[in-house]
Amino acid sequence: MSSSTEDETQENVDVHVPIKINTQQSTAMGNASDSDDYNDVAGALVDVEGFCYADYRIEQYAHSVLDFSSQYGIDLSISYTAPNITGRPSKYPDYGDFPQTFAMRTYGIWWDKAPSHLKEIHPQSLPAVHSEDFIVLYFEDYVIPEEIAIFETFNPGAIVRIWAYTITKAWVCLWDDAEFYKRPAYTANKARRFSPPLKKIHLPTKTIRLEFNHQRLHYYTEIDAVLLGGRKFNMSNLQNLLDFQERQRKGSILCKLQNMKFRPVCQDNYQTRLQHFLDHDLNKFMSAVSDVQIKQINNNDSTRVSHVGLKDMPFDIVLKIFSYLDLISLFRVGQVSRFFYDVSNHPLLYSELNLKPYWHLASTELLSTLAKRATVLKKLDMSWCGCTIQTVSPTEFKKFIQQRGDTLTHLRLNSSKFLNSSCIETLGIVCDNLKELSLRNCSLSPPLLNFSCLANLKNLERLDLFQTVIEQDLLLTMLESNPKLKHLNLAFCNVAVNMDDVALHVSEYNKNLVSLDMWKAHFLSAQGVLALSKCHDLEEVDFGWCLREATLGDSLKEFLMKCPKLKKLFLAAVRGLTDRDLEDIANLCPNLEQLDLMGVLGISKERYQDILQKCKKLELMDLSFCDNIMDYEVAMWSHNFKVNIKCCHVPNEIR
Amino acid sequence: MHSLSWTSRVISRALRNGFSTLLESATNVATTGPAKSRPHFVSVVCGFPKDFLTSKYKPGKYGEDSWFKTSTSNSDVLGVADGVGGWRSYGIDPGEFSSFLMKTCERLVHCVNFNPQKPVNLLAYSYCELLEQKKPILGSSTACVLVLNRENSTVYTANIGDSGFIVVRKGEIIHKSEEQQHYFNTPFQLSLPPPGHDHNVLSDSPDAADTLTFPVKEGDVILVATDGVFDNVPETLLLDVLKEVEGVTDPVKLQMTANSLALMARSLSFDSEFMSPFAINARRNNINATGGKPDDITVVLATVAM
Repeated sequence: MSSSTEDETQENVDVHVPIKINTQQSTAMGNASDSDDYNDVAGALVDVEGFCYADYRIEQYAHSVLDFSSQYGIDLSISYTAPNITGRPSKYPDYGDFPQTFAMRTYGIWWDKAPSHLKEIHPQSLPAVHSEDFIVLYFEDYVIPEEIAIFETFNPGAIVRIWAYTITKAWVCLWDDAEFYKRPAYTANKARRFSPPLKKIHLPTKTIRLEFNHQRLHYYTEIDAVLLGGRKFNMSNLQNLLDFQERQRKGSILCKLQNMKFRPVCQDNYQTRLQHFLDHDLNKFMSAVSDVQIKQINNNDSTRVSHVGLKDMPFDIVLKIFSYLDLISLFRVGQVSRFFYDVSNHPLLYSELNLKPYWHLASTELLSTLAKRATVLKKLDMSWCGCTIQTVSPTEFKKFIQQRGDTLTHLRLNSSKFLNSSCIETLGIVCDNLKELSLRNCSLSPPLLNFSCLANLKNLERLDLFQTVIEQDLLLTMLESNPKLKHLNLAFCNVAVNMDDVALHVSEYNKNLVSLDMWKAHFLSAQGVLALSKCHDLEEVDFGWCLREATLGDSLKEFLMKCPKLKKLFLAAVRGLTDRDLEDIANLCPNLEQLDLMGVLGISKERYQDILQKCKKLELMDLSFCDNIMDYEVAMWSHNFKVNIKCCHVPNEIR
Repeated sequence: MHSLSWTSRVISRALRNGFSTLLESATNVATTGPAKSRPHFVSVVCGFPKDFLTSKYKPGKYGEDSWFKTSTSNSDVLGVADGVGGWRSYGIDPGEFSSFLMKTCERLVHCVNFNPQKPVNLLAYSYCELLEQKKPILGSSTACVLVLNRENSTVYTANIGDSGFIVVRKGEIIHKSEEQQHYFNTPFQLSLPPPGHDHNVLSDSPDAADTLTFPVKEGDVILVATDGVFDNVPETLLLDVLKEVEGVTDPVKLQMTANSLALMARSLSFDSEFMSPFAINARRNNINATGGKPDDITVVLATVAM
């Protein structure tokens, strides 16, 4: 039902409890009712330093989405896309697959099992529970965060990390799911208001980042809304807060010293005095300070304790040991001693660099330090860096690529916000040994990035342009110049690119293609499918939401006959599929492992059974929104054939 | 198939204009206007499904008809849609399409890139959303959307098919929509046929919608309704009823008027001897018909208030 919603700006903010405060700074808080109850609470709002945080607690829903890594729908749509996460929940507490929520492209382990699966670069740097996707939300008012509630309306359980961007321009992790793999899987079919315990910080924030891991999900997860609750921060207190932070950082002794304007006065013979102290008094001092018996440092009368430690190992062994370390530990261990510093600086330890788990720490200084060390850089992953804060300058990145880019074979710059056209230009010119280039989610509209220099790359085996806007001419040129191409991802390719033309080009120039993803791209028809039958090595194709034309004719049959290695076939929303097509799938795909038939109507039950019987290697089958099948039948098939069958449908339309 | 070609045109046009549902700067919040009073709608709805006595009430629908009304900080929007009943014989529920269209229009009004001066975009984007649904929604429907832009006190409309609107001021009809028909009893319609039936189904694109723009003053009465009303109630009778509520801002009074309009339409539709506008039109097309036309009735009545 619709109703007048007058003032849009105030809609998302709920003022909770107005609290009266007894400090000199408090202004008369209007209707302060029964103040006796509130005095205790008010006391808690004033911290040690004596300034008050806030007058009241507010709850607010997300105002807008600043960035995200993946969504199910296309950019302008309001179905299953990122903007649906803003505002009040529209479906909660209902549970189901609703288009008015935010859903991402992947679920479960299925994409990890597919032929197009990517191995992580420098896996040592990844945390135990690594994040696969993220979304950054902007709220209207600064608050000291106390609660973040996420309304999950379908398959809850994907959120693994919550970050907040504080007013001091730093990202702080408010919650980390340590129990992700130990927790039992969430099986109840109920919507969930997920509100994990947050780390207490004293800084206000209005930007929140959620990170997801889909591995334990049974099917797509969907989120209706996100709530940020906390005490509203009074901006006039900002200077006080920043000073307080500064003082905290320095430590109390240093602050006292500063206050006293302490300046050490050196006497004349301080060197001898110091030496005397070190020789004679240091031991007494140390044993007085600590309980541990300190060995005599003096060479003369000490008995050397002989045990062989890490510092005595040969260089190569220590190097091998250090190669198991993540990047932060590597930098830290280099601070221990000269020897360790030399080992940790060795270029072989920096042939693979992954800055994705350190996206919040990535900076220009880090990049220049790494440039000095990584002289034989082979693989680089700088995905997610430069998010919201411009700490990585494009010029520094350009310099980095110019220095180190010629040895690069694998480069991933997914959702990297620091990229600009000249960075891409440099890439194209310098990195001609590139075998893998991943530029997912580089499609922020104006200014569009100029990818034209990428036409220089000739050795590509993998090209990933998921959710990235690219011109058709450039894409076709790149296809022509890279005959070794094995993996091509053009999901969410914009309307300007005609997939039939792409398919025709691929069939001519890229006959070694192993995987092709055209999810939600446009204009693929029977002609394109027929053309693709020339790529006999194809193991994975995703035609979901792309092949919309009604009449497929014999094209699918021809395609399946010529590509017998097919392991993954996604035909979501290919509404023109008929019983005959499914018969062909059953007969011609002996190696099929994953099949998606979501939203295909009018298929008879026997065809599904056929496929289950004949495709012996089948592991996943998505029959959501299909008709002619009953839930219990699906359960029976799933059990008998040992196949994971997805079968969900919207509960009967009420709202 | 042709529906795909113009939907992609719509998308590429929007992309070129820099539209994105992803908000760029959250700080450019639309500020409300200055102290001067701005017009707004006081609106009410009433209606009857054709099978009123046997069906259950569902909010937002009257049988196969659907409607919505909503407002933002600088506009009021009304809309009706009439699902084409012929789809029942294909096993498709005709009300689903019109209902989805109206619900999506309502959601789109609250999106950032809603342009109050182009209601035809609402229809176009709504239609594109249809193609993005997991569960295929098939069928066809007429639609009429009316937007009041508070900034300049102007109404922008988009109408496709035989639903429509009437604007009354000082006892006269000053604006009304034209009925769009291919031939008798076959209005223009937005449609999404099942795969394989693309070529033997009428499908009009939103570009074919009639758009009208006109200024409104305080006290104007606007009636948006489906053909269940216009086919059964003669214009003079409508005018008589509508001029009574000119300048009325009491929603209760308005509701009573809307109820009586709907009831009038319903009674006349079942009257087998009355020369309804439908019968007159039929006779003009050499069809011997008398009496009213039983159909779903949806009445959205609004007055402009300050």
